[in-house]
Amino acid sequence: MQTLKPAIEMKNIQQSFHLDTGRKIKVLDDVNMTVHQGEVLVLLGPSGSGKSTCLRILTGLLKPSHGKVFLDGKPLHQSNPDTALVFQSFALLPWKNVAANVATGIKPLGLTKEEVSSRVKKAIDLVGLEGFEEAYPKEHTGGMKQRVGIARALVMERPILCLDEPFSALDVLTAETLRKEVLNLWLSKKTAIKAIVLVTHNITEAVSMGSRILVVGSGKVRFSIRNDLNYPRDEKSSAFKNLVDNMHDLLTETIIPDTADWIPPALASNTIESLPHVSITEVDGFLEVIGQEDGKRADAFLLAKKLMKDSVQVLILAKAAELLDLVDTPKNQVVLTDLGKAFVSSDVNEKKKIVHRQMKQLRLTQLIHEKLLSVPDQTLPRSEVIQDLSDWLPNENPERVLDTLLQWGRYGELFGYNADTMQVYIDNETPST
Amino acid sequence: MYSQVPHSYPKKTQFPLGDLTAILVLGFFLFGSVELARNWTAAYQPSIQIDLSERALPLYAVYSLFRALIAYVASLGFTLIFGYWAAKSRRAERVILPLLDVGQSIPVLGFLPTLVLGLISVFPHSNFGLELACILMIFTGQVWNMTFSYYASLKSIPNHFHELSRNVRLTPIQRLFDIELPFASSGLAWNSLMSMAGGWFFLTICEAFTLGDRQYRLLGLGSYMATAIEVGNTRAILYGLSAMVAVILFMDFIVWRPVIAWTRRFRLDEQNEQVQNIPFIQMLLKESRLVRVLEKYIHSAIAQIETLSTHLFKPRKRRRTGLLLRRFRHRWISLFRYTPSLNHLSWVPVLGLGLWILMKLAILIHALKAPEIILILQSAGYTFLRVLGALVLSTLWTVPFGIWVGLSPKRTRFFQPIIQVAASFPAPMLYPIVLFGLSALGVGLGVGASILMLLGVQWYILFNVLAGATLISRELRETFYLFRSPLKQRLFDLYLPSIFPSLVTGWITASGGAWNASIVAEYIQYHGQTLRTVGLGALISQSTSDGNFPLLAGALIAMVSMVLVLNRTIWRRAQVLCERKFRFER
Repeated sequence: MQTLKPAIEMKNIQQSFHLDTGRKIKVLDDVNMTVHQGEVLVLLGPSGSGKSTCLRILTGLLKPSHGKVFLDGKPLHQSNPDTALVFQSFALLPWKNVAANVATGIKPLGLTKEEVSSRVKKAIDLVGLEGFEEAYPKEHTGGMKQRVGIARALVMERPILCLDEPFSALDVLTAETLRKEVLNLWLSKKTAIKAIVLVTHNITEAVSMGSRILVVGSGKVRFSIRNDLNYPRDEKSSAFKNLVDNMHDLLTETIIPDTADWIPPALASNTIESLPHVSITEVDGFLEVIGQEDGKRADAFLLAKKLMKDSVQVLILAKAAELLDLVDTPKNQVVLTDLGKAFVSSDVNEKKKIVHRQMKQLRLTQLIHEKLLSVPDQTLPRSEVIQDLSDWLPNENPERVLDTLLQWGRYGELFGYNADTMQVYIDNETPST
Repeated sequence: MYSQVPHSYPKKTQFPLGDLTAILVLGFFLFGSVELARNWTAAYQPSIQIDLSERALPLYAVYSLFRALIAYVASLGFTLIFGYWAAKSRRAERVILPLLDVGQSIPVLGFLPTLVLGLISVFPHSNFGLELACILMIFTGQVWNMTFSYYASLKSIPNHFHELSRNVRLTPIQRLFDIELPFASSGLAWNSLMSMAGGWFFLTICEAFTLGDRQYRLLGLGSYMATAIEVGNTRAILYGLSAMVAVILFMDFIVWRPVIAWTRRFRLDEQNEQVQNIPFIQMLLKESRLVRVLEKYIHSAIAQIETLSTHLFKPRKRRRTGLLLRRFRHRWISLFRYTPSLNHLSWVPVLGLGLWILMKLAILIHALKAPEIILILQSAGYTFLRVLGALVLSTLWTVPFGIWVGLSPKRTRFFQPIIQVAASFPAPMLYPIVLFGLSALGVGLGVGASILMLLGVQWYILFNVLAGATLISRELRETFYLFRSPLKQRLFDLYLPSIFPSLVTGWITASGGAWNASIVAEYIQYHGQTLRTVGLGALISQSTSDGNFPLLAGALIAMVSMVLVLNRTIWRRAQVLCERKFRFER
C-alpha cells in the first residue's frame, strides 16, 4: 500500500459560482488532491464545504474556474471516462425496469444484445438484485433503488467508483447494510474497480470505509488522514473509536477553530462573523437538552447520537450557540456558560431579551443596525441588504445569511421584515417583559 | 435473466377484435390520406361549389380532419426542433422564445394574405397551393403552445439526469430517446389535445375566406359551415355541428385518450399513481397482435438508431481522425470561440430577416393616414373593453363551478372528459345560434361580441380553476370543516386564495385567446348579410376581405402589441405577485 499509482490528480482547483444577484461566491479555493489506485478516498465535510463540487470536477461534470484535472498525466477536457458516479438521489428512470436502468450505463458502447445482457446480469448479481430485473424503480424501497444505482455504475466497468453521499437518503439500518455491501464488493476484488471516492458528512461512515480521509472545510482540504485499520473494521474496537474521536476533533477544528489566537467574534470588533444557517428555536432546543445533562455539559458526538442528528449538524448548532456566548466548546465538549444556564431556566420573553442583548454584540448585527439608522424610516429594501451582506461576507451565500439573520432578529425583536414590500426595518419596540 | 412469463395469456375467444380495430383504424387513416391527395392534385378551381346536403358531409369531415392532422404533424416537427433548440442553446433561446410569444399573439388572418398569395403563385395550376396555405393556417393555430410545453419540459429535467447522461456519456440521440422525450411526453400529449382544439377554432376561416376581390374555398367541414351560416341554412348548420362533434369525439376516443393514458407511465411523480381506468380503445389495441408487432418494430428501430448513434458520436479518444484534419478542426473551432466578430456573425441572418420584415411593415404602415390611425386606436379600445367583459363573465361562472367540481374527485372524473370535448369544439361554429338568441333578447353585436368571445375562452379559465381546486390542501379543508366555517368564510379564506395563481394563468391564456377571437366575433357573415361592430377584430377581418393591406398591417401590429404589452405588464406582474403570496409550499 506504500507506493500507489496516481490515477487522477487535481491541481490548483478553484471554483466560483455566480449568484442571481450577480455576485460571485467562491466554493473551492486552491484544492490539490490525488486519487491513487487501490485506495478508498473519503471527502468528509459539512454541507456547503465544497466536497460535492470537488467530486463533480473530478468526474468532469463541472469545469473548474481555475486549475486542471489530470488523468494518467493527461489533462481532462470533458466528462471523465474513468469514473462511474452513484448519485445521492439515485437518478433512476422511472419508466425503465431494473435491467434497463442498469443497461443505460453501457448504452453508448454500442455492444451487441448478448454482451449487454451478460454484463447487466453480472452487475445485477453483484449487488444482489437477481429476480428483480423486471421490477420498476417505484416498486422498490430506497435501499433497493440505490442498489440499482450502484449496479449501473458497476456495469460500466470503469476503474474509479465515485459515490456522492450515496447512503444519506436512506434510513440508518439500510445505510449500514449497503455500506457493508459496497465494502465487500471492494474487498472481494470481483469488480473492475481500482479506487473508490466517497463523499460524505458522516464520520463513522468515513472511518469505516476510507483508507484515506480528506477533511474539507470552507473550500479547502484541511487535513489528510491515513486510515490503516484492517478491514472489516469493528466499530466497537477502541482503535476505531479513537480514530472517530480524532476525526471529530479535526472536524470541530474546521468548523469551530479552537486555536489560542482565536477570539470569539462577539468580542472582536473588526472581524465579521457570519451566522450559521440554523433556526433559533433549534438552538433553544439544543441548549435545553444540554441543560438536562449532568454538569450542564455534553460530548458533541454523543449528543448527535442522542438527538439522532449527524454530528456536523450538532457542531453547527454548537457554533451558533457559541456565537451568542451561550456555550463554550472545549475540544468536542459543549458546556453551557452562565448565561446559557440562565437562558435555559428562563421563559420565552426572558429568552428573547437574552438573544436581543447577545445579538447586539455581533459585528454583523451592528453593521446592519448602523446602516438602517442612517436611512429615513429606518427601512431598507431586501436587495440592498443582500448587496451589503455580499460585500461584508464575500464567501457566503448572502440570501442564506439574511434569512438566518432575519429569523434570529425577529426572535430577538431587533429587526422586522415585511415579506410583501420585501423591506427590512428596525424593530423599535424593546422586548416586552 | 429476463423471465419469459407472458403477462396475459391469449384470450379464450378466437375472434380477433383487437386486430380488427387496429386494421379499421389504419384503413381509415390510409383512406383519408388518399382522398386528400386526390383532392390536392385536382386542377385549381377558383370557386368551388359547397354541397350543403348531408351526404357530402362525411367526406368533407375527412378532408378537414386530415388537414388538421397534417398540420399537427408539422407542428410536432416544429416543436421537436425549435423547442429542443431553445432549451439547449442560450442564444437560440433568446430569439426563439420572443418569436413564439409574438407568433402566438398574431391572429390567423395575419398569416393569411402572405401564405395564400405566395403559395398560389408557386402552384398556380393545382389546388396544392391553396391546400398548403390552409394547412399552414391551421398550423399557426396549433404550434405555439406545443413548442412552449416541450421547451418547459426539457428545462425542468432534474439536474442529476443531465449529470448521469454525461457521466455515462450517452450520445445525444440516446439522451433524446431515453431521457428527454419520455420526460416531455406527458406535457406534449396534453398540449397536443389543446393544439388540435386551437387548430379547429379558425377552421371556418381557414377553409373559406375572401381576400380582396376573390373568394377562396376548399372542400371541408369549415367551408361547409361557413357557407351554411352565410346563406342561413339552419338544417345544414345543425348537420355541420353534429359532424364537428363526431370528429372531435372520434379523435378524443381513438387518439388522445389512449395517448394520454400511455404517456402516464413516463411521469416522474411516483406517488400520483392512482389506478386510472384504461381507455377502452387502448385495451382493444393491447390485445391486437398487429399492434404488438408494430410496437416491437418501433422499439427495435429506436434501438437500431441508438446503436447507430454510438458509432457516429464515438468519444474523441477513439476517433481516428487524421492529424491534419484534427488540427484544422481545432483551429476552426477556436476561430469561432475566440473571435467575437465571427461568433456574432450567426446573428446576421436573424437580424437581417427581422430588419427586412420591419422595413416591409414600415412601408405598409407609412400609407396609413391620420383618420385610419385614430380608427385603429379607437377600435383597440372597444375590443379591449370586450375582452375585459368576456374575462369577467367567464370568471363569474367558471370560478364557482370549477371549485365545486375540483373539490370532489368523483365530480372531477365525471366532468373532465365532458369539459375536454366541449373545449375542443370550435366556438365560431356556434355563433349563428348564439346570435339568434342574443338578437331575440335585443342585444346587439357591440355587446354580444363579448359573449361570442366568451364562448371560446371560458374553457382556459375553467381548466385552470379546476386544476387549482384539485390542489387545495386537504389538511386546510379539514381544518375549516372542523371549525364549521360557513361557506362564505371558506370561499374567501381558503378556496379563492388557493386557486388564485391558477386563475391568473387562466386569465393570461384567455385574454390572448379573446383578442384573437375578436376577428370572428366582431365580424360575421350570416344569412346573406355582414354583421359588424367597431373593434380591432372587425377591422382586421374587414381589411383582409377588402385587400386593404396597410390597414391590415396597422391593425395587426396594434393587436400584437396590445397582447404583448398587457402580458408583460399587468399579467406577468400579477403572476409573480400571487406566486409569492398564495402558492402552497409543496
